[in-house]
Amino acid sequence: MHILIVEDDEVARDYLAKALREVGHSVDVAGDGIKGLHMASSIAIDLAIVDRMLPKLDGLALVQSLRATGRKLPVLILSALGEVDDRITGLRAGGDDYLTKPYHMSELMARIDALARRGDSGNAENTAKLKLADLELDRMTRRVTRNGKKIELTAREFQLLEFMMRHSGQVVTRTMLLEGVWDYHFDPQTNVIDVHISRLRQAIDKDFDKPLLHTVRGAGYSLREDE
Amino acid sequence: MVFACGAALLLGVVDFAVSRIVDGSTDNLIEAEVQGLREQVLVLSRSDFIELIEQRSQDQDVRGAVYLMVDPQLRPVAGNVPAWPKIGSSDDKWIQFKVSVPFGDETREHEMRAQRFKLPGGYRMLVGHDVQERQDVKNLMMRGLIAAVVLTLLLGLGGGFWMGRRILAQAGAISAVATQIMRGDLSQRLPVRNADDEINTLVREINSMLDKIEQLTLGMRTVLDSAAHDLRTPLNRLQATAEGAMSGLAPGSAERKVIERVSTEVDHMRSTLDALLRIALAETGTVAREPVNLSELVASMVELYAPVSEERGIRLESTVAAGAEVQGSRQLLAQALANLLDNAIKFTPDGGRIRVLLRAPGGAPEVVVEDDGPGIPADKRELVLGRRVRLDEARKVPGSGLGLSLVAAVTKLHGARLILDDAGPGLRVSLKF
Repeated sequence: MHILIVEDDEVARDYLAKALREVGHSVDVAGDGIKGLHMASSIAIDLAIVDRMLPKLDGLALVQSLRATGRKLPVLILSALGEVDDRITGLRAGGDDYLTKPYHMSELMARIDALARRGDSGNAENTAKLKLADLELDRMTRRVTRNGKKIELTAREFQLLEFMMRHSGQVVTRTMLLEGVWDYHFDPQTNVIDVHISRLRQAIDKDFDKPLLHTVRGAGYSLREDE
Repeated sequence: MVFACGAALLLGVVDFAVSRIVDGSTDNLIEAEVQGLREQVLVLSRSDFIELIEQRSQDQDVRGAVYLMVDPQLRPVAGNVPAWPKIGSSDDKWIQFKVSVPFGDETREHEMRAQRFKLPGGYRMLVGHDVQERQDVKNLMMRGLIAAVVLTLLLGLGGGFWMGRRILAQAGAISAVATQIMRGDLSQRLPVRNADDEINTLVREINSMLDKIEQLTLGMRTVLDSAAHDLRTPLNRLQATAEGAMSGLAPGSAERKVIERVSTEVDHMRSTLDALLRIALAETGTVAREPVNLSELVASMVELYAPVSEERGIRLESTVAAGAEVQGSRQLLAQALANLLDNAIKFTPDGGRIRVLLRAPGGAPEVVVEDDGPGIPADKRELVLGRRVRLDEARKVPGSGLGLSLVAAVTKLHGARLILDDAGPGLRVSLKF
């Protein structure tokens, strides 16, 4: 992907650019809001990472201006602010996702991958059937089968699987799961998500040859065919 | 009451004053007539005098004048009064008496006021005036005055009542808005009307006070945001630097372990900072409000924590009443509940039990989280709601110690009460909305 980083903190910006380049993305940078808006409007980029607190033009204003021109570019907003309502404000301004500092690079990577996919296949939301290898999930009938065999899941396990399948092949972090499946934005001190995942794993992987639900160390989980 | 007494006094005074004036003028009339007659009697012969009296008595132009001339035996000789009034001693100059006067088909008693004086030859004369009319006028006036006073009293009472109701209604409106404001909605202002009375002046003063408070709170929010920014930025750099360094180091190497340690500690700092900021935000009340489906929230939190409880061999029981709703922040409430459940799981031994209840008696929801762990001794309960206290001296159990502190701040923000109790054994935490 071609990614634009608009961040005024040089140290953070440089590390972010380096990390993104290391995984194969091409990166452009801007150190203030005006330059960032200009670049976002003129260069062909696939995704923008915009810090909220920028000199010359505030991050949210940048995103709003971008949206006003009709640009459908996926935007991840980075913020060092107080939180709680800030996320909603950011998303309302036109951001597609919101990440507070400090963050783990793996978290950011997982989220931009998810954003890119969201941008690509606008139809993904509407497909009634999701499929990965021999695992099939039907949203309408709420039926899950693997290799033709029916799998019994609780309502929540179904939601969890649906989320993982929509992000199949990608890394999904615990925070993304808590947000996407439970709609919560907090830090549980106990490993609640891990146990939910291991239950799901029991249901879909235990009796079958190939494990699909993998743990990605230091990042989260991934539903994919190969190891 | 005061008004009534004053009114009565006023009536009395008016009555007295009017009587004196009216009486005075009548008396002057009578006096003048008496003087005139006294002069005439010296000049005229008796029969001429009698004729004069008769004339005057019959004179239709002079209304109300009464005359009576009697002989030494008090027998009427001339005049328009039937009999010599036998009242008072003969030395009284002035008398008042009643006379029956024809009135249409009936007779009425009329009050007369008269002077008596002696005539030559033992004859006596009475000259007076019908004061019934005066009395009637006085009565009419009194009645009018009384009616006016009563009307004023009624208007006063009615007006007072009406004003009282208006003031009560205004006070009610002010009270309602004040409750909203205390709940943290600083954008509210008290309703101001166009009138210029004291209540409105007061309301305007309060509103400008609220303007200041809102400014201060927003100022605090700015300070919080600045502090957040000033702490998060270096933490972010630290994390980025650590992760950048790790990518170049072999896994398992001593150097990498050191950097991993740094990264873990940055995580802890982030977690503590997040908690502190949330507490500060909850305490300054600068959080958006919306209707929160408490039943759904509690049920989904229980569902979220069920698997991990089961894993630890802890029974997680719950009873959640439906339809409970509060006004507030779903995320903050979720965090508070999560903290309570985290604590419960941390402190409940294997094989123990955690109970989560949501009751809504009479529309006032109550959330209870109960465990059968060590509980908190009564004398330490206040303490644990402060910023850093943890009773677990050994510090084996991880956590920033801010858990209950946030629960307290969020509870307060929502206008609810937080109660810590002994669950016999264990801790019972109640949030009463």
